[in-house]
This record gives sequence, structure tokens and C-alpha cells, in this order.
Amino acid sequence: MGLLVGCSSSNEQTQDVTNLTIYSGRSEEFIAPFLVEWETQSGIKLNIRYGDSAELTAQILEEGSNSPADLFLSQDAGSLGAISEAGLFISLPSDVAQSIPAQFVSVNRNWIGVTGRARVFAYAPDRVKTLPQSVADLTKPLYKNQIGIAPTNASFQAFVTALIQNKGEKFAKSWLQGLTANGVKIYQKNSAIVEAIDKGEISIGLVNHYYLWEVSKGLGRSINVKNGFFTPGDIGNLINVSGAGVLASSKKQGAAQDLINYLTSAPAQQKFVTDTHEYSLIDGANAPAELPRLDQIGAPSIDLGKLKSIKRTQDLLIEVGLL
Amino acid sequence: MTSLEISHLRVSFNKKVILDDLSLSVAEGQIAALLGPSGCGKTTLLRSIAGLIAPSDGTIRFGKQLVSLSSLVLPSHKRKIGYVPQEGALFPHLNVADNIAFGLDRAVFTKDQIRQITKEMLSLIGMEGFDNRAPNQLSGGQQTRVALARALAIKPAIVLFDEPFSALDAQLRTDLRADVIDLLRAHNTTAILVTHDREEALVSADTVALMREGKIIQQGSPEQVYSSPISPAIAISTGDALVLRAFKLSDGTTSYILNTQKSLAQSVETGHIVIRPEEIKIHRNLSSNSINGRIAKIDYYGHDAMIGINVEHEYLQVRIPGPFDFSIGEQVALEHIGPLRFFADGKTAI
Amino acid sequence: MNTRMQRALKLSLNSAVGMVAALSMIPLVYLFVRASDKPMGEIVQLLVRQKTLDVLTTTILMVVCVVAITLFFGVAIASGLHFVHLPLRRLLIIPTVLPLAIPSYVFTYTWIALVPSFSGFAAAVFILSLTTLPYIILVTLAGLRSVDGSQIEVARSLGLNYRQTFFRVVFPQIRGHASAGALLAGLYAMSDFGAVSLLNVETLTVSIQNMYRASYDRSAAAVISFVLIAFAVLFVIAEESIKTKSPDGQIVKTFSTKHALIRKRPLQVTVMFAVITFGVVAVVIPFYVLLTRFFSNPVGIDWRSLLTATISTITVAAIGAIIALVLSAPLGVLLSGKVTSFGRIAERTIVVGAALPGVVVGLALVSIGSKLGALYQTTLLLAFAYALLFLAKSVASMTSSLARVPNGVKEVAATFGMNQWSVVRKVIAPIAAPGIGLGTILVFLTAMKELPATLMLRPTGFETLATQIWSSTSINRFNEAAPFALILVLVAAIPSFYISRPDKADRAFI
Repeated sequence: MGLLVGCSSSNEQTQDVTNLTIYSGRSEEFIAPFLVEWETQSGIKLNIRYGDSAELTAQILEEGSNSPADLFLSQDAGSLGAISEAGLFISLPSDVAQSIPAQFVSVNRNWIGVTGRARVFAYAPDRVKTLPQSVADLTKPLYKNQIGIAPTNASFQAFVTALIQNKGEKFAKSWLQGLTANGVKIYQKNSAIVEAIDKGEISIGLVNHYYLWEVSKGLGRSINVKNGFFTPGDIGNLINVSGAGVLASSKKQGAAQDLINYLTSAPAQQKFVTDTHEYSLIDGANAPAELPRLDQIGAPSIDLGKLKSIKRTQDLLIEVGLL
Repeated sequence: MTSLEISHLRVSFNKKVILDDLSLSVAEGQIAALLGPSGCGKTTLLRSIAGLIAPSDGTIRFGKQLVSLSSLVLPSHKRKIGYVPQEGALFPHLNVADNIAFGLDRAVFTKDQIRQITKEMLSLIGMEGFDNRAPNQLSGGQQTRVALARALAIKPAIVLFDEPFSALDAQLRTDLRADVIDLLRAHNTTAILVTHDREEALVSADTVALMREGKIIQQGSPEQVYSSPISPAIAISTGDALVLRAFKLSDGTTSYILNTQKSLAQSVETGHIVIRPEEIKIHRNLSSNSINGRIAKIDYYGHDAMIGINVEHEYLQVRIPGPFDFSIGEQVALEHIGPLRFFADGKTAI
Repeated sequence: MNTRMQRALKLSLNSAVGMVAALSMIPLVYLFVRASDKPMGEIVQLLVRQKTLDVLTTTILMVVCVVAITLFFGVAIASGLHFVHLPLRRLLIIPTVLPLAIPSYVFTYTWIALVPSFSGFAAAVFILSLTTLPYIILVTLAGLRSVDGSQIEVARSLGLNYRQTFFRVVFPQIRGHASAGALLAGLYAMSDFGAVSLLNVETLTVSIQNMYRASYDRSAAAVISFVLIAFAVLFVIAEESIKTKSPDGQIVKTFSTKHALIRKRPLQVTVMFAVITFGVVAVVIPFYVLLTRFFSNPVGIDWRSLLTATISTITVAAIGAIIALVLSAPLGVLLSGKVTSFGRIAERTIVVGAALPGVVVGLALVSIGSKLGALYQTTLLLAFAYALLFLAKSVASMTSSLARVPNGVKEVAATFGMNQWSVVRKVIAPIAAPGIGLGTILVFLTAMKELPATLMLRPTGFETLATQIWSSTSINRFNEAAPFALILVLVAAIPSFYISRPDKADRAFI
């Protein structure tokens, strides 16, 4: 099991560990069942601190080596990258989370992806007859005043960062300006975009794939919205990840890695697909209901680690007046 | 030049009747003193006249103008009235000069006129140079004086004073009172002065109204209310009084402790008589026919003295002019030299 | 008491005040350390770029609008409640004060649910005005009650109608009170994050938050925080200059007459209408939305977590309020006597701290707290955070309550041979206690609603009603959030109601 690799001598042996502290930017509603199951299996009690990914990141950065956290579960790669850059994560041994493909793991193995969150365009099937093939289509007059985005949202900003990486800043800027000229509507939250489509305010929105399900569950009824993907390879099909990293200051690294292994194991991954409607990152896994498989989406290849410097993106968004 | 006519006024508050069928009339230019125990409604009456409370019944007239008819009232700010409440109530955010000039309409008076009037008022109350003081820098008596000046500055037709001089020391009180009254008379201002000081009422007023439990029990000139009170209680309200047990006899005479006539007639009515202390003379000519007593106490006031004398089972207070040469323990003879005011039991107004 | 003892006491008082002021500066020191991580050139760049100026302008405009609106309506409603004869007058004040119990983010959620397109600057001004109006109303009412009814009667007898009397006699005397309320309202508007972020308005607090998210650049966030602090300092100084213009001399009244209430129909109707409208908008509608949101998609209520969260909320908020009380005592005592420049500076430092958003104070305490080992992420530290966050409120009520003790009383007590401590215990405390108690309740109320610092500093697993609301709403489960929101409002309504009672309210503030 390779528990001793990468551990300092002050690390507790997993069998001696009685409790583990987790900072979770993932919502309790979704992640708790997994953690409870691991708790039962391992006999290790979990102290879980729930919060917002970005605020928890700032908190961990402030705490530095004094952080009580052993493991950090984050909702997006950017935050994991920031902590990694501050040197607060350990480099995970190669046998931890073996099932996760390399494209979803950070270069120095400081953090690994756990679930996939696909960027999609949500749309109203009765009102959008011609689906956009690429993000560039969204600036067409066909979709004038029909599109909604959430520029303050981390996943949108991650997407724009990827866009800049992939196509260059000039392209990104003119695309954003094109959107504005096309009457794009601004929302604070992805869920608000989906609700707006359902209500008929707009017809298309750039969100993460699972919001459909989240909104529908929250309202307690089905909604008039579907998820759509751009042509395979289009930057609009970016797959972002939720992930985890082990704090270098932790004295229970072995136990923390054990939890990561659990989360990336096939049964747990399958459970993510069915229960939280996220994508499993394991090769050949099933897709969430009514959605194409991960390998069918045709995600662009992007170094997720680079998504942490959203500053440039933010400046650009400010420049074009979307922020 | 405005008279004040109050007729059958009724004022309630929270279902409690405070003024009950109250009538009062003050001729123009007259100063009326309102005497009464605390809680009898004096302040309420003043506030009704000022238009600050709406009565439930009755009328109030300023001269010919009807200002209050049942619950229909002319608003307070439309009545040209001066009101000096008990606590003075100076505006804390204005200095003395601005307080005094507060009621002078700047649309009507020029700045110079205002300054002039303020100066006159300050002179009247003896506080020249106090223009820029803040109210919280003044003593209680000074605050009262400024409040007076403020009310008088607008030269109102009617002024209402609620115990204005009570915060002042004796000398200041007498002087200021005299000045204020001169001013009122000079302008023929009608005034109501609420006071608990009996002597102040008698000396300042043209008419004295005695109030009890929301009603005016007796109104008349100072002499009238002093010499001819309509009840022992009223008598005590207007001055020191001896209230003695007395009996009306079948032969028409009245039997009481100082009566030298010893009649054997039957008692027909029981009651009391009221004697003023100065209406008893004492001398050393003791005889078997005289009523005699022993001096127990001497209170010397300078201009007169109150002598306490034990007569039979009674203790009587007698006022004699100073100087005198009586001493404690002496036996003296008492002689009643005043009117006989007999009040039968059960037949007297409160 | 001899001069040596006096001097020793004075010294210990001043040092206590100094310590408290130093504590309240912890966030400032944190911000300074973070900001200095950046080279000077970048800092200047950050400060002068267009975006910063835009955000600063938005913030200033918003604060100005909120203060103007709340002053106007607050003074008007308070005056109406005080002077006009209304049916059930004593009960009418309750709806004007209940919004104190509702967190601004709950307000915002309910209004968005009601009007989906509800967003933008005007919406933010609306929500923040609703949230802060109770402060102005309460404070102004307190001021109105201290104006002797006889003055109004004299003014009227001198020929002034009601309107003139109000502006020439009443208003000059309540100006100080109203401006103190405006101060609280403005500082709150500056520091609010929940409402403005949901409504898409970028104020400085939103900008600071975005900085934390964007590049996890805590230095940039710190620099922007200083912009906020600079604005807050200017705001406080501006308010003080207004305050000193109004008179502070209080002629100690032994009794004050109750003036007769105005019975003019048009006025009565206007006031009733205003109060009822405010009550509907600020209380009825949020409740209605919360209830319908819950009943339209009912889930089983987890009674146990509801109960635990309630108890946790009440406990930590209460401890925080008590700590705030203890911390503000030295400054209160100092300021109630002769005001020294030291006391003034200490007061200003503490008051400016009220402008800081919860996230900044939270991170500052994380920074220090994480170095404190066992003390980190304890209930005590969280309570201390609350005390620090709301110290300004506690100081304000402490100062004004102690100022009510007339100097003469203290001196007379001294002649009875009482030493300083006995004087405090037997004379000052009974007079000032009610007001101080009420100020503490106010801190308690506000602490119950706090979110960002709570999320960061609470013991792991410790849930308050606010954190539960957040965790449901962050995944869009408004129906699940509703029970917690309702309980929070109901629990907070009790102290709100208590503060609103006429005989209590005026002692809470001035």
C-alpha cells in the first residue's frame, strides 16, 4: 500500500490514527455520504469543515504550516493549484489514486482530480432550434439577447482562462466583446442561469453540467432545460475537476491518502455518477444520466494546473466590462 | 386687552375627569391667582386655556373670541398666548437671547427690533449680559427668569404662569414679581398665576380663584376670599386660620371657646367658626369674665409674632404686632375682635 | 480619594483602553502585513487603476444613498410614532424593529425569489436601507423621548405650528442622535457582503472577496481593504463634524411632561401607511416567501440539527456579546468622564473597524489564531471574533449609557464616603446598566446573523443557524434553508422586540 513513501517519521501509522481533519469546499449535501462510508470502513473519525472552496483556500494559505487540516477537498482545480504553488501539499506517491488519468492530476502530483465537471451550454429545447456548434457561434445574431453567463463564477473564469490558453488573449477578448454586443445577460450564479432558461428569460446559458439536476431537485420538479455539448474538441467542452490534496503539515498523511484512494475507487466513482451526477474520471466509467461519456465529449486538452492564475482572466473580464 | 371667560369646562384624560364643570372669569387686564392643592388640576386648566389640551365640554373665550367650544378648539399656535410652564422648559440648543426672541416672528420684526426687545427683556429680568449663555449654564432661578422673558417678549394678550417664582430666593422673588406685575399692568395684560404661596396670591392678584378637585370653589377679590371664605377649608387655603368647634344656640348666639357670653340656651346647630389669628387680642387684664390662657410658644417674625396659647383644652395661635413684651408661661386674657364666621356641619361647601 | 490613587486608576484605565484599541487593530495590522507583501509599484497600480476607482465610486454612492434614505424615512417614521396619535401605538413600533432580526442575505434571497429580475444598484440600496432603517428609528426615538414635552408646548403657545415647532425645536435636539444612527447605517452598508454580492453590485467588499477568489491574491485584497478603511475614516470624521454642531448640554430633568399627541387625520393616515408598508416589505414578505418556499417543496425537517444549531448560535453569540461588553467597558468609562484626545482616538479606531467585512476580520484571526495552537477554531475564539466585529456597537451604547449618569450624582456619592469602586457598584451601575444591557443585546443580535468569519473560525462541525442557511442555499436548496432562516428570525425577534419597548429603547443608545 506504500504508506511509508512520502511520509515523514513523525507521521502516524494509519492503524494508530483515530481521527482526520478535512477541509471541504465540496458541499456537505453531496460529499458527506462518501465520507461517512469511509469513516465506517476505516474506523477513523472525520472532522469535516465545510466552506467555500476559495475562502477555505485563503484560510489554508493563511494558516500555512499551522493548518489543522490533513486533507483538502476542493470544488475546482484553481484553488488546488494555488495551495500547491504555496508548497503546502505533499507530492502524492505514484500508487495513490492510480485510477485517475494523468490529464486530471497535477504535474508534480500535488493534487489529484476526483470528479469531472463538464462545461456545457444549457438550453431550452423548445426555443433553441439550431444548437451552437462552437463557442464562437454564440456571438452570432441568431442568439441575440438569448445567452446568459455568470462571469463572477469560478468555473466560468476557469473556462475563459482555458480559452486564453488555447486560442490566445486576443481571440478571447474579441469573443467576450462579441458576447456583450450580442446582448449577453449577466447572472450571479449558475443556478440562476438555469432557472432563467426554465422561466423563459433566456434560452442558452454557459454552466456546469450538473446544475440542471441541482436546480430541478431544488425546485422539486422537472424543468424545461437540457444540457448540450459543443463539437468534440471545442474549448467550450472543457472538463474541470473537483479534487483533493494532502497537506504537508499533516501528521496523518497515510490515512489521508487512504481516503483519496477510496474516493477514486471504482465503487465510489460510480456513486458520484449516480448520486451527485458528476463525471467519474476513471477510464471507461459510465456517464451521468442522459449525458455522453467523458471520452465522447471531446474535451480540449488543457493543463488544469494552469487554471489557477485567473487573475489575467479577471483583468480581461474587467477590461471588457463583464466584471 | 382681552378678558378670559371659562364656562363649564370639562376635561378628561384616560377616562379620568380632571376638570369638572369649571367656570372662571377674569376681566381684561386683571391678574388672577389660582390657588389649590397639588393634583387638583391647575396645570391642566392652564394647558386647556393655552390650547394644548382639547376639553370634552365647555367653552373658553378670549374677549369676544371663542377659542374652545366643547372639543372644537382653536389650535394653540393661533392663540396669542404666553405660557410659562413649571419647569421653565428653555430650548437647550439655543442661547439665552435666542430663547427670549424665539416667539418674535422674523417676518414681522426686524433684526434691530428683535435685538431691542431682547435687551428690554433681559433688563426686566435683571440678566443683562447673559445673551450668549447656554441654558445648561444657568441656575434654576435664572432659567425661570429667562422663561418668563420669553413669554413676555411677544407681548401677549393673555399670559399663563405655572408657579413661576417658586425656584427663586425670597428677595429675588419679591422684586421680580413686582417688576413682572408692573409690566403686566403697564400693558393691560390679562394673566393667570398658578401658585401655592397664599401670600403671593393675595398680594399679586386682582381676583383669587380657589380650586379643588377640578372645580373653582370660590372666586373673589383677595379681601373677599380672605375675609369671607365659603368654608373652613377655603379659609385655610387663603391664610392662617383657627377652626374652632362652635354651636348655634336657640337664642341666636354662637357658643365657642372664646365667647365670653355664657348663655344657657340650647344648642340648635353644631358647626365650626373660623377666626384669623390677627383677629384675637391678648392683654394682661385678667378677670373672671375673661377667657384666659397660658403662653406656650412664641414665634417671632420681626414685624409680628405668632403666640401659641393653651386655652382650656385648645391650643390657639394668635398673631400680634411686634414689638411686645410677653413671655412664655405668662397668663393672658384673649379677646376675639373679628367677625364670626359660622359654618354649620353638613351644610358647608367643601 | 488621594491623588496617587487617582493617578494609578487613571493609568490603569488608559492602559486598559489602549489594550482594547490594540486588539481592535489586529485586522489592520494583518492587512498591513499582507499588503506589504506587494512591491510599492504594484500597490500604487492597484490603487489608481480605473476598476478600483469605479468600485470606490459605487461604494460611496451606495453609502450616500442608503444614509440619505434611512435618515429621511427613519426620522420621519420615528417622529410619526412619537408625536402622532395612533391606534395600538405601542405595538406599531415592533414591525419597524423586527428587520434587525433578519440577515441581509436572507432578505435578498426572499426578494429575488419574489421578483426574479431583482438585482442591481437600486435593489442593493433598497435591501440595505431595509436592513438598517431600524437603527435610525430606534436611535431617533430615543432622542425624541429626551426632548421635554413642555418645550413643544411653549413653542406652540408662542405661535409656531407643528411643522415649525418640529424644525426649530425638535430637530436641532435630535440631530446628534440621528447622525449616530446614520453612522451605524453607513458603516453597515460599507461592510455588507451578502446582499450586494447576490445583487450583482460590486462594492469594495465584493471586490475584496473577488480578489481572494481570483488569484488567491491576499495582498491585493489587503490593498483594496485599505481603500475601504480610508473611506470609513473619512465617513466617521464627517459624521463627527455633524454631531458636534448640535448641543450636548443636557439640563438634567427631574421630570418631563408628556405632550398631547397630534390627532390630525392626514398625518395619522400617512404614518400608519408608512409603518405598515415598511412592515409588509421588511417583515411580512420575507416571512411569506420563506414559508411558501418551504411548503412548496417540503423536506423532512432535521429537528436535531435545527435544535443544535439554535443552541450553538445562541451560545456563541451570547459569549461574544459578553466579551464585547467587557472590552468596551474601559473605553465607556473613559469617555463618560472628561473626553481626552486619547479616548477620542481609541473610539475612532474601534468605530472604523466596523467598516471591515467579516471575511477580512476572519482571515486576520485565522492568521493569528492558527499560531495559537489549541485556541484555534474554538468557540471562544469565534466569540472573540464577534466581539471584535461588533465592538463599535457595544462602545456606542456603553458610552451613552454612562454619560447619562449626572456628574452631581457621582459627587454626592463620593461625599458619602464611598470609594470609587462602591460608587461604580451602587450608583453608576444601576443607572447605566439598562442601557449597557441593551447594547449588549444588540451585539448579540448581530452576532447571531454573522456568516463569513463564522465559517472560518468555528470549531469543525460547529454549525450555527447562519452556516446552515448558507450550506443549503449554496446548493440552491432554498426549501431546506427555510426552516433555519425562520428559526433564526424568530429567535432574533425576541431580543429585537425587547429592545423596541419604549421604556427600554431610549436607554440603549443615547
